[in-house]
Parts: sequence; structure tokens; C-alpha cells
Amino acid sequence: MDTSLINVPFLIDTFFVALSGVPVALLVTVVSLLIAVPIGFFLALTRINQIPVINTIAKIYVSFVRGTPIIIQIFVLYSFIPLMLNGIFKKYNIEYSVYDINPLWYAFIIFAFNTAAVLVEVFRSALSTVDKGQLEAAQSVGLTNAQAYRRIIIPQALVTALPNLCTATVNLIKATSLGYAISLYEITLKAKVAANVGYNYVEAYIDIFIVYLILCIVVEQLFKWWEKRLSRYKYANA
Amino acid sequence: MLEITNVHKSFGKNEILKGVDLTIEKGDVVVILGPSGSGKTTLLRCINFLERADQGTANFGDLKVDLKGASKKEVLDVRKKTAFVFQNYNLFNNKTALENVAEGLIIGRKMPKEEAYKISREALDKVGLSDKYDFYPVQLSGGQQQRVGIARAVALNPDIILFDEPTSALDPELVGEVLETMKEIAREGTTMLVVTHEMGFAKDVAKRVIFMDGGVVVEEGTPHDIFVTPKEERTKRFLRRVLPGQYDYEI
Repeated sequence: MDTSLINVPFLIDTFFVALSGVPVALLVTVVSLLIAVPIGFFLALTRINQIPVINTIAKIYVSFVRGTPIIIQIFVLYSFIPLMLNGIFKKYNIEYSVYDINPLWYAFIIFAFNTAAVLVEVFRSALSTVDKGQLEAAQSVGLTNAQAYRRIIIPQALVTALPNLCTATVNLIKATSLGYAISLYEITLKAKVAANVGYNYVEAYIDIFIVYLILCIVVEQLFKWWEKRLSRYKYANA
Repeated sequence: MLEITNVHKSFGKNEILKGVDLTIEKGDVVVILGPSGSGKTTLLRCINFLERADQGTANFGDLKVDLKGASKKEVLDVRKKTAFVFQNYNLFNNKTALENVAEGLIIGRKMPKEEAYKISREALDKVGLSDKYDFYPVQLSGGQQQRVGIARAVALNPDIILFDEPTSALDPELVGEVLETMKEIAREGTTMLVVTHEMGFAKDVAKRVIFMDGGVVVEEGTPHDIFVTPKEERTKRFLRRVLPGQYDYEI
């Protein structure tokens, strides 16, 4: 066995093992965002327009998610959903074992549930930065509300939202590491499993560390590029 | 061409409009004067459904709508017949001058892009901004922004353009260019309903002047009727306050 502090060949090999978990981490991130963005946006609109009942539900939902650790949300949903499904399956005589469900599905639900709450506040603050006059001007030239939002308001709000959206996305990527708690074969779990064989935990953790770091830096840069593109109208030179 | 009857509007307990009637003939420039809080802006906003009136009707000749209960379709129809020039310009910040003007044509009126851009360029040329097509609002002065705002209204070729204090937010030295632009489009026979504090514009350009105070029309007539031979005491008092060089000797 290697006597040096770090097993370099293992470090390198495991780096690629950890890297092979990236697609799953990204898949969970993207799918969760795809679910969370419309929900977050819709709830943000109900908050801004003070729609009764839904507004209150949205408020409670946001406080609830913000006030509890993700890992606990994972444990709660991971135990609660199978129980609920079991009940439903039994009632309708569906022959399917809830314990055969791919943890990926749980990850989608849990992380979408969590991220949507974050995005409600991101979108709410961003939409409120767009002057009411923009909507009125759009209406006055004959646009419907939906057209006004799509073409005038959302593009402007998005510029404000992007830095926070980037933070939310990066947080989500990092949070997928908690997927190991529900046996999701992503970056963390893959590297840890590899480390189990020879107890090379330090190397595995370093690999995990580096993979997340690279992933998050790349995502950050993409967002920066996107923000620059979208905010051209703001900083155009006279 | 546009007949507005019995418009009422309250914000909470504050009654802003207390039954306003108004008739505008095609090609007329009608100026609404009045102290702040008299309901001028609210009246304009009710006509374009930026505000829902509590009561009242608008008759555009071939389209008669209830200002309170109009359906979404009716609201869109009215907005196709009207255009609005805002006090704060309200140009779309994320669009260039040309895109600002074309937006309503392409999206609102479903006009082919090429045709829309052609009309938009002509409208910008008319307001003297043929060298600013691709400029974003942040790159334009207040006066230029408001001229884009006017071009945006003109391009829609509406039955009537509603101007809500179009020069009030401008630096004094930029007021002239906007008034000049408005005079120009007035000369072309555009029907205009203008809320303004520019007495000179009212005197020179208006066919009729309406004086509003406290949510009602106090007096209306030709510029000569209102400025030279006003009948109502409230009108006289207002004019003494706003017209330079005229003092109230009854102190």
C-alpha cells in the first residue's frame, strides 16, 4: 500500500468516477429547475397581485421551505411519499412496489419543491423592479397582458433575477450531493462508494470537492455570459 | 368621432371624476387644463382602460363601450383605436427606438415585420430621429425619448392620440422639441386629446380648450373663449395663477 499521505493513482482514478456522476447531478438540477421555474414564477405573480388564498399558501410554503434544512426535507419527503403512494396503490389495486421507484424521481420532486420556494422570492423581487409604466405602455399599444409579460416585462425582470437565479442554480447543484441520502448515484455517492473499498476517503473527498468546484464555476460563467447578453440594453453606449 | 359621457371614478373614498362629458371631432386638437388633482390624467387613463371607470361610456362612432364593464376584447378594440403618450415616456427599456415603435404593430396588430419596420422608420423620421433607430432608451435624452413615444403612438395610426402631460417630466430646454413635434402631427390632422400645463401650446394649437376642476368640466370653448373671455370664476382664478405677467390685484 502506498505509504504517502495521498494515494495519487486512486485520486486520479476516482476523479473520473466522481466525474461520471455529473450527468445525474445535472439531470436532477435541470429537471428540478424546469419544474420549479414555472411554479416559482406563477406563485410570484400571485404574491405580487395579492391573489387571495394562493398568496397565503405561497407565503406559508416559502417560510416552510426556508425554515427547514434540505436534508430534513429530503428525509420527510422520502418517507412520506412512499407511504402516500402505498396507500394509493393499495386502494386502486396497483401491483407495484413503491420501493422499486428510482430515487431519481424522488430527487426531482424534492429539489423542485425546494427550489421553487427559493425562486418565488427571486422572481417576486425581480418583477417588482420593472416599472408599472412598462406594462401600461405595452397595454396601450395593444399587447395583451401575456404578450406584455413575455416580450417586455420578463426580459427586463430576468436581468435583475439572473444573479439570484445563478445562486439558486449553484446551490441546487451543490444540494444534489445530498442525494446520497436517498441512494442517488450522483457525484458524492459514486466517489464515496469507490473510497469504501480501500478507505481512501481523503482522496475521494478531494475529488468530489474539485468536481463540484469546476461544475459550479462553469455554470457561473454561463450565467455571467447570459446576463451580459440580456443586459446589453442597460449599458449601451450613447 | 369620440364621445365620452358621464365618467365617474373614485379611488377609495376620494372621488376624482364626478360625471365628465366630452366630445371630440375628427382632426380636432382638444387641450384639457386644470389644477393638479382635478382628474385630467384619470380621465385620459379611463378612456384607454389603464384605469377602470366606475361609470361612463365611450362612443368611437363604430364602437360603443361601457367604461366600467367592457370585456377584454372590447378593451383591446379600444386600444387599437387609441394611442397613449405618457408623462414618463414609458419606452420599453429592452427595445431599441425602432423596436419600440414597431412592437405594437407587429405584436398588437399582427403586421408583417417588414411593413411594420417601414412604418416605424417613417414615424421616427417624422419626429426627427432618423439617426436614432438602433438606440436604446438609455442612450436618448428625455426629449428624444418622448419623441420616440410620440412616434410609437403615431405609427399605430389611431383614431385619437391621448397625451398625458407629455412635457412635464422634461428639462425646460427639451420641452420645445417635443411641443414642436406635437404641433407638427397636429398640422397633419391627427386627432389629439392633450393634458398639459403648456399654455402656449393650448393657445396656438388647440381647437378647443377644456378647463377641469374638482372632477368636473367647469368651462370649455375656443382658446379665445377660455384665455381672453373666461366666464367662470374658477377658470379666471386658475389662469391668473398660471399665466405669467398677469397679477391678481385683488389681494
